Formats: sequence, C-alpha cells, structure tokens
Amino acid sequence: MASNGVDGESNADRNVEIWKIKKLIKSLEAARGNGTSMISLIIPPKDQISRIAKMLADEFGTASNIKSRVNRLSVLGAITSVQQRLKLYNKVPPNGLVIYCGTIVTDEGKEKKVNIDFEPFRPINTSLYLCDNKFHTEALTALLADDNKFGFIVMDGNGALFGTLSGNTREVLHKFTVDLPKKHGRGGQSALRFARLRMEKRHNYVRKVAEVAVQMFITNDKPNIAGLVLAGSADFKTELSQSDMFDIRLQAKIIKIVDVSYGGENGFNQAIELAADALANVKFIQEKKLIGRYFDEISQDTGKFCFGVEDTLRALEMGAVDILIVWENLDITRYVLKNHQTDEERILFLRPDQEKDKTYFIDKDTGVEMELIEQMPLLEWFANSYKNFGATLEIITDRSQEGAQFVKGFGGIGGILRYQVDFQSFNPDLEALGEDYDLDDY
Amino acid sequence: MASENGNSNAPDSWDQDIKDESCSTDANELSKPLSALNVNAPAFVPGKNVFAREFVPKVSPSDADETSEGPVESDNSVPVAQQDTENMDAVETDEDKGGGKDQEAVGGERDQEIPDEAWAEGEDEDVDDGLEMEGLEEGDAGMQSELQAVAIPKKKDANKGPPKVKKEHVNVVFIGHVDAGKSTIGGHIMYLTGQVDKRTLEKYEREAKEKNRETWYLSWALDTNLEEREKGKTVEVGRAFFETASKHFTILDAPGHKSFVPNMIGGASQADVAVLVISARRGEFETGFERGGQTREHAMLVKTSGVKHLIVVINKMDDPTVEWAEDRYIECRDKLIPYLKKCGFNPKTDLYFLPVSGLNGAFLKEVPDETICPWYRGPSLIDYLDSLPPISRAQDQPVRVPIVDRYKDMGSILLGKVESGVVSRNQTLLLMPNRMQVKVMTLWSDDEETDSANPGENVKIKVSGIEEEDVSPGFVLCPIDNLCHTGKVFDAQIVILEHRSIICAGYSAVMHIHSCAEEVTIKALICIIDKKTGEKSKLNPKFIKQDQIGIARLEVNGGVICMETFKEFPQMGRFTLRDEGRTVAIGKVLKVIE
Repeated sequence: MASNGVDGESNADRNVEIWKIKKLIKSLEAARGNGTSMISLIIPPKDQISRIAKMLADEFGTASNIKSRVNRLSVLGAITSVQQRLKLYNKVPPNGLVIYCGTIVTDEGKEKKVNIDFEPFRPINTSLYLCDNKFHTEALTALLADDNKFGFIVMDGNGALFGTLSGNTREVLHKFTVDLPKKHGRGGQSALRFARLRMEKRHNYVRKVAEVAVQMFITNDKPNIAGLVLAGSADFKTELSQSDMFDIRLQAKIIKIVDVSYGGENGFNQAIELAADALANVKFIQEKKLIGRYFDEISQDTGKFCFGVEDTLRALEMGAVDILIVWENLDITRYVLKNHQTDEERILFLRPDQEKDKTYFIDKDTGVEMELIEQMPLLEWFANSYKNFGATLEIITDRSQEGAQFVKGFGGIGGILRYQVDFQSFNPDLEALGEDYDLDDY
Repeated sequence: MASENGNSNAPDSWDQDIKDESCSTDANELSKPLSALNVNAPAFVPGKNVFAREFVPKVSPSDADETSEGPVESDNSVPVAQQDTENMDAVETDEDKGGGKDQEAVGGERDQEIPDEAWAEGEDEDVDDGLEMEGLEEGDAGMQSELQAVAIPKKKDANKGPPKVKKEHVNVVFIGHVDAGKSTIGGHIMYLTGQVDKRTLEKYEREAKEKNRETWYLSWALDTNLEEREKGKTVEVGRAFFETASKHFTILDAPGHKSFVPNMIGGASQADVAVLVISARRGEFETGFERGGQTREHAMLVKTSGVKHLIVVINKMDDPTVEWAEDRYIECRDKLIPYLKKCGFNPKTDLYFLPVSGLNGAFLKEVPDETICPWYRGPSLIDYLDSLPPISRAQDQPVRVPIVDRYKDMGSILLGKVESGVVSRNQTLLLMPNRMQVKVMTLWSDDEETDSANPGENVKIKVSGIEEEDVSPGFVLCPIDNLCHTGKVFDAQIVILEHRSIICAGYSAVMHIHSCAEEVTIKALICIIDKKTGEKSKLNPKFIKQDQIGIARLEVNGGVICMETFKEFPQMGRFTLRDEGRTVAIGKVLKVIE
C-alpha cells in the first residue's frame, strides 16, 4: 500500500505483475492449435542462449522430416519464429525466459499466430522444450503458487474440513461429516454402555481426522504445508493435537489452535480470521485487511471512498485515488468509439449484457453507428495505466467474506481516496443491478 | 396465535409474545373471581368411551394449592352434573379465536407505549385503529376465554392403566454466562423434586471430591458426558424434567461457553420460559455482563427465539464475597434491567428477579429462614415457575414439530418440541423439506410413553419409513394435508446488532431458524427502515450498518429449508444471524420467495 513507502509500492506492482501473468496463463491454457505446432520453451536463469539456439536448429532438422505437409510447415514456421525471438536476447535474463509460439485456432475457426516472450517475475527453475497441440503452462502455475501454504483442519461434532490457504487462494481439500451420538440421557441400566459407545465413536472420529490429515498434508513423506491451524468448537481439536494418532510431522507444524463456533466453511473462514496474526504475510489476509479498511471508510462515512465505474474513474482523473481496488474477474469492458461525422471520441464501459445492446454504439444525436477503435477489459486497462493516475492497484478475489461483499455489494470496483470527494452523480450503472421490489409487500 | 386469525390487520410485532404474556398476567389476577365459576372442572369431550376416564381436571394455576392434594381423586368422581359447566367451557373455547385477535390488538397498542422497542416500531402503523379500540374494549373477554381455553383438559387414552394427569407442559431453559451455575441449579432442582435420588448424588459427590471439584457434583446430574464433567462446562444442551403439583417442566440446560452458543440456540428455540442465571460473586457478574460476556448475548437470543418470560436469578448469594448482601443483589438487578429492557423484555410484566443459591438450594424450592435473607420474602424459583400464567398454545393448528436431534435405537427416533397441533400415535406425517412420509410408531413425552402430545411438549418420536441418516436437525414434521413452507430464497427484516464494519450484498453468516442452522448469503438489500418513524426509506441501499434495520433478500447456501413467515407462525419465522462467534443480527421472515 502506498503509505508503506517504496517497499509497499513495489509489492503492489508485483501483485499486478502476477495478475498479468495469471491472465496470460489463462489465455494460453485455453488455446488449441493444429498438430504439434505449439512450442513451449522455458529457459532457466544462467543457461546459455547459444545452447538453446543450437537445440532449436537441431529440432528444425528433425521437424523437416514430418510427413504431414500442413503439420510440417506449421512446426517449422513456429521454430523459426522462436529462433528469431531468441535473437532479441543476448543473454538469458536473471529470472529466466519463457517463450510461447504457435498457430492457434480461434473460436471462429480462424488461425492466429501467437508469439509471446517474457521474463517471469520470479526465478524459474525449469528447463522445458515441448511441441504439442497446446501450450504447457504447468511450470508457470507452480511459479504463481505462493510458497507459504498453510493447512487448516476444522473439526467439530458434525464433521471435519481440510483446507489450505496460500497466497490469495483459499481451497477446501476435503470434507466429511460424521454422526456422533449426542447426549440423550437414555440408557437406564445400559447408560454406561452408551457412554462407552459414545467415547468409542469419538475416538474413531479423531483417528479418522488424523488419518485424512496425513493424506492431505503429507506428500512424499514431507509436509506440504508451512504451518497448520487447528480449529473447532469443542475439545476435538485439542484432543487431536495431543493424540498420538496425529502424525508427528504435522504436529510440529501446528502454529495455532483456535476456537470457532461452527464447523464447515463458516468455521474455515473464522479460523482464517482468528489465525490472522500468525498468517500475517499471506496475501489473503492482506486482502481482507484492505477491504476491511475500505469498509471502515464507508461505515465511518468519511467520504474518502468511491465505488462504481463512473465515480471511480472520475476520482482517478482527479488524482484522488490512493488505492484502487478491483475484482480480478471484473467483466466490464472499456470501449473507445469514434464518431465519424464529428470526429469525436467516446469512451464507454459496458457489462457483457450491455454489449449486446447495439444502441450503446450509436450516437444519440446523429444516429450514426460509431467506429470501434479500441476494446479491452477494464481491468487490463487499469493494469496498464494505473500509474498515470498516481494510484496503487490492488486486485482482489471474492473468496474472502469481505471480498464477496465487495464484489456483490459494490460491483467489484472501488477505491480509497486521499481526500474527500463529493460525488453528486447518481450511479445508474449499479442501480440497475438491483431488482425492483414492491415495498408494499412487507 | 397470529396464524389463527390469519388477519393481515393484526399487528405483527416482535412483542407479540410479550403481550400475550402480559395479558395473561392480568388474567391471573382476574382468575380469582373466576375460580368461583368452577374453572377447574373437567370438560366434556364427546365421542369417547363413557366408562373411560376421559375427564382429566386441569388445575388452574391460581388454585394450585387448594387442589394439589390430588387432582386424580377428583377425576375419579366426576359428577355428571358438572357436565353442563363443561359444555359451557367448550362453548367459550370457541370464542377463543376472537379473543386471540383482540389481544393482538391490545399488544399492538402496548408496543407503542414502550419507546425502547426497536422491533415494534415500523409495525405499529399496520395496526388498524378501529380494531385497536375494539380490542381494548373486548380485551377482558378475550383474556377470560383464553384462561378457560387452557383449562380444558387434554384427552387421554382410555386403555392405559391408571390415568395420569396431563399437566401443563412448560419448557424452561437455563441461560447465562459460563460458570454462573446453570447446571448446578438444574441439578439441584432435580434433586429437590426427586428426579435424582440421593444415592446417585452421593456417588457424584464422592467422585467429584476425588477430583477436587466438590462444588460440581450437582451439575453432574445434567452434564453426563465425560468431557463435560472433567471441565465442568456444559457442551450440549442437557435435558431433564420435573413436576410440580400443577405443571410439568422440561429443563433445558444450555451451555454458557462462548463456543457453544450454537448449541444453546438449539435449546432456546424449544423454550417457553427462560431462567437467566447471574453470578453475584464479585468479578463474575461483571465479566459475564461485559461486551463479549454471554449474559447479554443469551438474553438477546432467548428473546429472539420466542421466550416470553424471563426469570433472572441472582445466584451464588451464599458466596463469601456476597453473603446475602442486599445491596449486591440490587446492584446486579439495576445493572441488568436497562439492558434487558433494550432486548425487549418489559421489566414490569416479563421479568422477575430473585436471589438464590444453587449450591445449597436456598430459594430453589424452600424459602430459607428469615435470618439468612430478611430482604427477600417472595416465592422460591419452583413456586414462581409453578405460578406462572398458562401459555397459550396453538392446539388446533396443523402439526409442526421441528426436529432438534435424532438417533437410532431400534428404529429412527426423532427429538423435538411440538410447536403446534397434536401429534398422536399411528399418525402419518410428512417430514419436510424432503417430503418423506413417516408414521409415528411410539411417542414419548419426557421419557413417558403417551399416545398423543400437545403443543409445548418435548417429545421423542419413533418413526417408521425413514432411516436416521435421512433426517437432520431443522427438518419439520407436518401433516400430509397441511405442509409448512419451504424455501431457499426469502425476504426478511433484519436488525444488525453487532458488526464492526458494514454489511452489504454478498455477506454470509450462519442463520439459526427454529432448530435449523444453515449458512445464508445476503443476495440484495431491499431497503432500510427508519427506526424512528418506521418508514421504509432508501430503496436498494448499498450497505447496512450496526443498529440499523433493513429488509434484505437472503439465500440459503445449503439448499431448501423449512420456514414460515413470521406473520403466520412466529416460532418458525424468526431467526438469528451469527458469524465469527458473535450474534450479528436478528430477523424475521417476511416472504418466502422460492
């Protein structure tokens, strides 16, 4: 966050960088090409360009023997492109180099040549050369995953949930329910028997949780998590942590035991909240805090906040926005349109359902259909140009409670301002989201 | 109650129950002249075997002492001549419907008198002025008929051995901060009423002594689990029952610890009367009452779960730091009253304070010597519970039994409280929301096998037709021809009690409605209601803050659940929203959308 000084600034930039790569990966994953003409090339740091160039030359020789003419041509074409691309570098960048090249088939069945090269934001320790009908992005995905992964076990009398938290992703790995006997006061002379049965069932439950925990959090005889948080409502969690059925390797990883009042998803959320101080560096927690701060501004009615596309953009243009908060899956598109007759440019922000409505593309005064000059997702535009407005961009998810509220309640776009701005305008954009209710019904 | 008249003009307020209660309190005074009218005469139930003992006299509470020697005896010698009066009773019962409506109106009027009632406001405008006036005039008549209605004896099976009197059934929940002494009081009451024999208790005492936990032995009567006994903390709601001369009480011993509030809500949803246990010991009262203490939260939760009457017992008066000091008692009481008032309890009619000692039993059943406590000479806890005015029950309504728990014991056994209607053996019911047909095989009311259970009774039902796994708490038993509403999306009025930031669409929390707990998400906020004027202002607000009232559209994440609108059936229409161990909001269902 900007107020944290230079360090915070670069951190936010880095997050934007990560988001860009994420988006790239998504588009690459979706791409499909003909035959085996899609080349994925990853060069680790400190490798030599010349070695790769030689390998590509060899591959070129091998590929010329491909029988199918179409396939041969496209593979050769792709290899040539990669070679040319490689020539732009005189040495491998410090973090390694990633090149994707090939001819993809678009949704409309048209062919499109793709050639992407970039340096990852973090050193990439993989050497890869593959020709396939798709791009291989696994190495990049692994790069995105935060190295600090925290495990969660939420157990109560109704069931157990196993989840992980890493970066800004909260994931439920497994959950199951149990049916433990409650206190019924039944029994009479076999009351002791029931008590024993009950103890046995509870014991078995703890055992099962301990066993599943090993399955979930231990891979290759090593814990795959940096820390483990145990949460639960009754005594189960302490019982589990002390039980000798619980793997010692995991026992060592326990960083916190927290009390939550519910099991399941809600308990998971609460456990994350309660363990926040132990997980302070995790993006998810930072995200929660950021939106929490935004909500605080709103609840205190300081006026130092904005939401909705129009208000936010206006605030941006004023230079008032300190932190720009945008949902990662914001589906608003920015259009730049031009009216031929008046040579006037117009910028529109449309939701997918509005895009279908052609009236937006027609100039109201003259009735002329306007020419499309530029079209790009709003978030991408923000990512490219947020620096021009002196703002910090924070891209958030809707996985946390706060995130979900921000997305559903505020349309997924807003900002914390430096100073108070009075937005007189009514925001018809978001107002339209709400349905019409008949108040007399209540 | 409200659903009975189905009248949209009737005020629909959160205090619907208070006013019932308050009316009946008045009625209690009224009953003295009424007792001359032979109120406690058994009613005539036509269409039954003449030789069977059908006529079970119902003792009116005010006369409890006079008749307590043996209602059964009088049952044996029912004079035929009395039948006339019995018939009169039946006629008057028919008027009950009208009476109920009138009381609604009276209640609505009462709401306006209480300025603190946040809930009531915004509803009052609905009250038809004409009706209100009418209600005032006819209020007395309504109360009378209500009293008579409760006095109607409940039908009994003729084939069963010696007839047992079906006493009025009252569910009492003990609430309060952790370690206030809820379980101990419950245990002691059971001991005093002979539900736990001396031998068992001595055994407990011995065992407790071994663990150096001498003072805990009384609570062990209710805390049966090993871990509960070891820590001295109730985890699950304990259930027990005891009887007085005129009433049958079910004790629900709620856990006081913060983490087990969800369990406590389950218990509170079944209660008619709550006993708020306060520890008078120095320091303990203060922690319990602070923000974050369970005294506040529990009081609020029982109010929202439909408890009409709250008895506040100031416990541990025998403690060395208190020693029956009157000023301490008054201090506790005076601190509590403003908050309880805010929760919606009327200090005059809904609250009763008394000092007790759970450990030595003072003021539980017996009133101790004047030397110990010269400044309180009122009734003891049991006597007071016994003298409470009868609670009006929706007996002629369709059956509704929200399931609290189930287990397998030679068949599927369901536990729950009959909220309305009469459940009887061999009845075929439908288990909502899954529409599974079940047949009632055996019926227990507090461990005693019966053939029918009336509203208010805590029952165990063995059913055939389903497996235990198919049932979860929150399901509702309904008659086949009159199903309860089910829904996933609904509109509700919510009041935000405590939330540090704002709540907007997308917010999710756990909702407790009757015995059901499900995660819900706010889909949209529809409007905010002005607290002062009750007007619906600000359409489609962006967010809602603490202490605001609004209408929101909620969606149940888990799937379809049973619910009714608050107007039609309050017990299944009010709910609590909890998140992160706190009660965030309370609300009532206005409309079930789908």
